[in-house]
Amino acid sequence: MTDVLLTGIGGQGVLSTSAVLARAAQLDGFFVRGVTLHGLAQRGGSTHTFIRFSKDKVFSPSVLTANADLILAFEPLEALRVLKYASKEKTAIVVNDYPLTPIYSNVLKIPYPKKEEIMSKLKKFSKEVVVFNAFGKTKEEYGNILYGNLMLLGISIGKGFLNLSEKNVEKAILCTIKYDLDKNLKAFREGVSLGKKL
Amino acid sequence: MRILKKVDVLEKKGKKVVLLGNEAIVRGALEAGVGVATAYPGTPSSEVPMTFSRIAKQAGVYFEYSTNEKVAFETAAGAAYSGVPAIVSMKHFGLNVASDSVMPVIYTGVKAPLIIMVADDPQGWSSAQSEQDSRFYSRLGHIPTIEPANPQECKDFTVLAFKISEEFNIPVMLRTTTKVSHSIGTVKLGEVKKPKRKGKFVKDKKVYYNIRPNLQKLHELLLEKNEKIRKKYSEKLVDVIPGSKNLGVICSGVSYEYVLEAVKEMKVKPRILRIKMTYPLPVKMISKFIKDLKSVVVVEELEPIIEEEVKAIAKEVNPKLVVHGKDLLPSVGEYNTEDIISAFEKLYKKKYHIDFKKHLRKAEAMVKDLPPRKPSFCQGCPHRSTFYAVKKVLGSKTIYAGDIGCYILGIFEPYEMQDFIISMGASEGITHGIMKSTKQKPVVFIGDSTFFHAGMPGLANFHFNKTDALVIILDNSVTAMTGHQPHPGTGRTGMNESVPALKLEEIAKALGADNVRVVNSFNQKEVQKAVKELYSKPGVNVIVSRGECRLLFMREMKKEQIQVPKFQIDPEKCVKCGVCTDEFACPAIIKEGKGKNAKYYINEDMCWGCSVCAQICPYNAIKPARLVKRDDL
Repeated sequence: MTDVLLTGIGGQGVLSTSAVLARAAQLDGFFVRGVTLHGLAQRGGSTHTFIRFSKDKVFSPSVLTANADLILAFEPLEALRVLKYASKEKTAIVVNDYPLTPIYSNVLKIPYPKKEEIMSKLKKFSKEVVVFNAFGKTKEEYGNILYGNLMLLGISIGKGFLNLSEKNVEKAILCTIKYDLDKNLKAFREGVSLGKKL
Repeated sequence: MRILKKVDVLEKKGKKVVLLGNEAIVRGALEAGVGVATAYPGTPSSEVPMTFSRIAKQAGVYFEYSTNEKVAFETAAGAAYSGVPAIVSMKHFGLNVASDSVMPVIYTGVKAPLIIMVADDPQGWSSAQSEQDSRFYSRLGHIPTIEPANPQECKDFTVLAFKISEEFNIPVMLRTTTKVSHSIGTVKLGEVKKPKRKGKFVKDKKVYYNIRPNLQKLHELLLEKNEKIRKKYSEKLVDVIPGSKNLGVICSGVSYEYVLEAVKEMKVKPRILRIKMTYPLPVKMISKFIKDLKSVVVVEELEPIIEEEVKAIAKEVNPKLVVHGKDLLPSVGEYNTEDIISAFEKLYKKKYHIDFKKHLRKAEAMVKDLPPRKPSFCQGCPHRSTFYAVKKVLGSKTIYAGDIGCYILGIFEPYEMQDFIISMGASEGITHGIMKSTKQKPVVFIGDSTFFHAGMPGLANFHFNKTDALVIILDNSVTAMTGHQPHPGTGRTGMNESVPALKLEEIAKALGADNVRVVNSFNQKEVQKAVKELYSKPGVNVIVSRGECRLLFMREMKKEQIQVPKFQIDPEKCVKCGVCTDEFACPAIIKEGKGKNAKYYINEDMCWGCSVCAQICPYNAIKPARLVKRDDL
């Protein structure tokens, strides 16, 4: 059983990346189950999805407390918010080093935490943390931050955190993503090779 | 996930695909030969109509977004009266709106299958207002009700619902919860049936004359139908897993999956009865199941409906039985596997290998002092601009009546301009009551889709009963919150055909508004001027604040490969007053650091070029980063 949690901010592509992941797992012959939350959470708020897959039937759609195998976070603060699903024994965390200050930080005068503070907290709840500014990298290379989503998915596979075939992830991208397929595929492949080195 | 490009719901028989629960319901309807599908969008049910909207033409099904759930239900009922299989979908509150017509249609019955798909939202992931359990409607109206637990069952149970509805000429309710509708899962597909699109309405006094004395006959017939359905279907629509007689578990819906997961994690072997049809209940099966049990725990979201019935049945067949349920499990919010595990910990007096409470305490300490990221208006949202303008003129002491839609987000800081949020259209009625009982004058905020749905009677009532109200219709041209569905003011139908759009300003005039002003939401001066002029002016006053949903606009721009101007803060001119970040609060405007050392800038990846920040900056420090020619837009 592989328990994955994807988290980020509404509009960052959490849903489309989850769709790619779910579809790839299905193509690999796994039984897939999961939850996507939207509605109110969609409008710029914290949002997360669960994707679970296994060779056997999966029952509950939700990941159990302290049981995530992988947390894929598109924003560092959002990684902290889902730490209840993580544990020192089990969890790998891949976090996009692209912090975005919530408007409520200014409005309610609560400062955004320092990077070191975030990292030390993430380390307490994981066996391994990979930090990489995928949005910055794809912005630089392809002109748009959002290809970073699939780069992060690539990194997770390259690192060996997700046991999915690259071929089927690419197939899933082709079936799922609407625009700029070339750049998305490139970003994914680059992520896989980055993951192998990181 | 509704963003899936490839249309998996139309894949071939035998194929295994990953579907969202709501998509699987659409597939089930297609496999049952549905001819007419209707809805008013409401999350967590929204992806049912959105999927129909995408595939209706290709599948040969008629689909529409109706103006509200009552009309949607009536349209589906009219189809079923005419011999055409139909499905209507809505969120839980939608059933409140439709219920006035649902009750009598259950009495008359139908000539072809009619399925009422209702998605409840325990935990309020996509709803404010209440955690309503729609299964009370099953009892209120004697509506046979089935509850799937996962996407495969969403598909299979929909096919089954059509079958039962057809066999007994009675509408059947398919009840989901958020974690069923919005969960994904592998689904093995069956064969799609050719849709029946046309039928004929035949007059039939025996069926449609629901006045006394025929009314009592219909009532009697309804009870008989339910008894037959109980015997033939409900008693058999169960999963029984044998186990110890010390403890039994009775469950329904997605709770069944949590129970199975908890059983696996805790390595326990209770006897399990999963009920698929929760009205009418399988009384005989329950009696047999509990007869020799020592104790039983009932696991259901949300109200203790099955639990109460189990207690009543136990009095007859096993008076010593200890019935647990809401004593061990939460009475509010949705369930999860953790809840079942902690109930098992108490019942089996054994500990799970993870101490959830301890783990949660540790994890919560990590997030204690973090700035929250509540949902907010998108960057470039026309509503933020309207709220800002209204607050600028009327301040924070004025009462602001709220309603249902994206503008509900005005409840949060820094705006806090949704002083009450009741139901679709209630902003007007409650305001009317306040104005009749006080010297205060609230401002009514209501969205375009909500106005078409339930706002027209309230506006007419202001005129009829002489209340000098100010109604601001926030018109972003679509039903935005639920995923940009069209409404009568949009100009296209659910099947993507064009149709003349109804104009809010004309409707407002026809409903008795004395002064109607249409303003551009993105123009601060214009909105502020209209509010200043109309707030205290006698008569019923309506401001239509019109501005296209920016999210939709940006998607169009992306499709057409058109760039929008990005704005920038001039550090020479910026005096760090904080108006743009603290009072206007656009997520694209970033403040780094504190006080005098703070740096204010606009994240160009996020800016959607609405220009409102440039209008509200008191020091004229915000300008487009590069000028874009008019022709470019």
